[in-house]
This record gives sequence, C-alpha cells and structure tokens, in this order.
Amino acid sequence: MPFGLSRRATVWIAGLIVATNGFFPAIWILLTSLKTETELIRSPITWLPEAATLHNYATAFTAQPILRFMWNSFVVASLSTILCVLVSALAAYALTRLRMPHRNLIMSVLLAVAMFPLIALMVPLFKVMRELGLLNTYLALILPYAVLSLPVCTLVMASFFQDIPPDLEAAAMVDGCTRVGALFRVIIPLSAPGVFTAAILAFVNAWDEFLLALTMMNRVNMRTLSVGITLYQGEFAFPWPLISAALIIAIVPICIIIAVFQERVVGGLTQGGVKG
Amino acid sequence: MTETAIQPKKDLSERALGALLLAPAALLLLVIVVYPIATLFWNSLHGVDNANVAAGEQFVGLKNYVTAFEDDRFWGSAWHTILYIVVTVPGSLLVGLGLALLANMPFKVKWPVRLGLLLPWALPLVFAGLIFRWFFEYRTGVVNDTLMRLGFEPLSWLSDPDLAFTAISIAIIWKSSSFMALMLLAGLQTIPKSLYEAAEVDGASKWQQFVEITLPMLRPAIFVALIFRTITAIQTFDIPYAMTGGGPGDSTETLAMYIHKTTLDFLDFGYGSALAALMFVLSMAATSGYLKYTRRSSGRAGED
Repeated sequence: MPFGLSRRATVWIAGLIVATNGFFPAIWILLTSLKTETELIRSPITWLPEAATLHNYATAFTAQPILRFMWNSFVVASLSTILCVLVSALAAYALTRLRMPHRNLIMSVLLAVAMFPLIALMVPLFKVMRELGLLNTYLALILPYAVLSLPVCTLVMASFFQDIPPDLEAAAMVDGCTRVGALFRVIIPLSAPGVFTAAILAFVNAWDEFLLALTMMNRVNMRTLSVGITLYQGEFAFPWPLISAALIIAIVPICIIIAVFQERVVGGLTQGGVKG
Repeated sequence: MTETAIQPKKDLSERALGALLLAPAALLLLVIVVYPIATLFWNSLHGVDNANVAAGEQFVGLKNYVTAFEDDRFWGSAWHTILYIVVTVPGSLLVGLGLALLANMPFKVKWPVRLGLLLPWALPLVFAGLIFRWFFEYRTGVVNDTLMRLGFEPLSWLSDPDLAFTAISIAIIWKSSSFMALMLLAGLQTIPKSLYEAAEVDGASKWQQFVEITLPMLRPAIFVALIFRTITAIQTFDIPYAMTGGGPGDSTETLAMYIHKTTLDFLDFGYGSALAALMFVLSMAATSGYLKYTRRSSGRAGED
C-alpha cells in the first residue's frame, strides 16, 4: 500500500476524501445558517457557531415566500416528470419492441434535438410563450422541462424494455391483449424500476433548472426555488446566514430524494451516460 | 407461403403503431424545439431601427451578424466561454477520475461515498454558485480564512478578473466532477478483476496497471464523459451568474450570459437571436462530433 498505510486505513482515507468533498459545502452552509450576523463578521472567523440560533430560519420563511417557491418547483417538477415519463415510455417502446425502420436514426435525432443549448432555445421560446400568453404560468416551464429530460428518460426506459423477453409480450397478446394493452399491462409493470429511475432523473433535472425559470417567470409568487433563493440577496449586501438558512431549506427535498433512492439514481445516471 | 403473405401486412401495422407511439414525442419536440429554433434564425434577421422605433421590428438582413463580428463584448464573452471549456473540462475529468478511483475501493459501508458523489450532482448549479461565492468572500470567506491561518495574504477573489475566473472555475469543477466520477466509476466496475490479477503475477506495479489496464479500458467512458461535459460547458451560465454576475466589468461573462442580458435586460431581440444562433452553430458542431462517435462505436459493436 502507498505510504506504508494498511489496507484498511487507505480505504478509510479514500472514503473520507470523497465524502468530505461532497458534503463540506453543505456542512459549511449549515454551520453558517446557525450563526448570527455579528458572529459572522468576526476575524478570524469562527468555524462552529458560538451561540447557535434558529433565527435565520424564521427570517427565511418571512423574508421571501419560500414555501410558495417550493410549491411552484414541486408543481412544475412533478407535472413535467409525469408528462416526460409518459411520452418517453411510448417512444422507448416503439424504438425497442417494434420493428421500426431507421430506429437508430430516430434515436440519434431525438438525442441531438435535446442537446440544443438551452440559451439558444430560451430566446425564441420566451417570444413564443409571450405570444401565447403563457409567461408566468406553470405550462411555460412544464413543457420545456419535459423535453429537457426526454432523451435520458427514453434511454433509461429503452434499456429496461430491451431486457424483457419477447415471449412474455407474445403470451399476453395470445391472451387477448392488444399491443398497447401489453405495453401497459406487461412491459411497464415489469420495467417499473426503469420507469421509476427515469422519473427521479426528470424530477431532479426540473427541480434544479435555473435559466428558463429565471426567464419565463418574472412574478415573485411564480418563481421556482432555484430562482427564488437568489432573491434573498440585497442590492449590495449578502446576508449570508439568512441565505444559508434558505439554501438549507431548499436542499432538504433533494437530499431526501437522493438519500432514499441513491442506488437507483446512480444506476440511471450511468445508464443514460454510458449507453448514450 | 402464408408467412410471406402475412409478413408485409404485419410490418405495416407495426410501423403505423410505432409512428403513433412516437407522435407525442415528435409533437413536443416540434413545439418546444424545432419551431422556436426556426423562428430564432428568422428573428435574427430582424431589428428595431432606433431612428424609427414606432415601426417595430424590421427586416434588416444580416446586419445583426455584422454587428456581432464587430462587437468586442461578443468576442470577449465567447473567449471567456472557450477558456471555461479549456480549463474546466480537463479539470473536472482529472478530479472526477481521482474521485472515481477513490470511490472504487472496497468499502464496507457504501452510502457515505455514494452520497458524497451524488450531492454535488443533485445540487442546483446556482446553489453551488452561491455557496462558492460565500467561500470566496474577501473578509469572511472560508478560503481567505484558511489562507491567513496558513500565513498567506488574503486574496480579493471576486473583484480581480483573473482570480474571479479561477474561483468560478473551481466552483464549476467541484460541481461537475462528481457526475464525471459516477460515470467513470461505472466504467471502472466493468473492468474484469482477472486483468489486474494477471498483471500482478507478471510483477506490474500499481502505476503500470493503471496506465496499461485502467486507462485503456476506461477510454470509452472517458470519451462519453468528456463530450457530455463539453456540451454543458458551452452553456456555462448559472455559476458565474451567481458568483460574479459576469464581473468585475465583463471579465467573467460567458456567451450565454451576454445573450441573456441582450435579450432580457437590453430587450434587443434581433441581436440576441443572432448571438443565440451563433452559439447554436457552435454547440451543434460539438454535438455532431458526439453523434459521429456513438454512431461509429455502435457500428463497430454490430460488426464484431
């Protein structure tokens, strides 16, 4: 082992480095959120809060409508997820289980279209949404977000659909199922983990998006969480303990999702990436 | 006989069903991507004449593109975008590879490492930007505090152009390297253990094993990860937006930020569209490179 460390120690140190790299920013924000403004400006800075206070959290809820931001994010993310999963399940089925001409070409076009830079899309999409009167409505984000996750969801579900033996589907059809019936009664239930993984990825993508959310929603009570958090800063002042408290409130839902579904998320990410 | 007679008919209905099932996806892409992109190019040929604002948007031909080529701020922001690509793509590959190698150790308890890689990925980019802005604060940030404890002078990270670029790059690398690591980790786990055992028998050192086995076997995963990262790096927006807002001056402004400002702050739709169209062409070049690679590799898999 390098540096004469025992194998156990090496493994421990490796784990510690990876975990610290991932968690340190969140931990630092958590510590900041418990400090007072006066403690913050002391030099040298304190690491652990001397007199921990929840005051910043109370302020975070009143200074901006953070629960409203969260609700907006939740509505937009869940509805776009449902739409995306539904649409990409149908597409993935057509591309994997049916004998379609130009399958690979269609798949490539699907991927290429979805790799368009969001900023190039944002400029004309803003105009389209304005003309349709959809600015400051949930629909203005739900539709683009469904497209945003379309490729990764299609890829993840396609790889699950592929592994289902064709006999099962054939048997269902002999029993009187139509093809579409077989899709909903056999294929989708059997690939539930894949559908679920796709849904989590789509949800997190939508929850995190910033540029379109910033552009399409300019009314404060329609802002999503990712944009809403930036409203805590003043024109010149950055009340870091307050911003930190708001950040902690905002990342709790994401942390719960990745903690509960960690294996699925890792599986889905690498599948979408490696197979793509 | 009957089989050949039935086959074409069955094929047709399968085709029709396939088209039907692909229709929702096609419709969504048409409305949200294809139509707006088409209008993007059309809009980029229009502009408002400052001498005659009441006339509204007029057809101006390629005038917006000519303006772009003479616009220093456009070239500046394009240059910054390229710098971010050149620095953060290899940067997050190296850090990501390091994290993947560390995360590939035989841990008894797996979740702290897995969550340590997932959290940076799941965090919104703009949150990462805000957090790193706080880290790099001059008086109260943890970075300058650490520098001072080690006996160095504090640095004015966010008000010096070069240092601001460095700080933003560090934030981008931190945010993107964990996704890199997850993809590379999946690649690492497909390498057969027997290869290392054989190398061990032949007396190869750890470093030789890394160079001769790990890196070549990881090449496809590295390539895919690099392409993904490049495509996102072209669009860099959230982190510099949150950390410096493009400043000091315009020194850390990216192309995406300039387009956003032109369109939504300066409300110059024609010019913003022209800039976006130029950016679109830039990133399509990257995407087509990616598609060419996947097409080639899947073709090769088919031949084998």
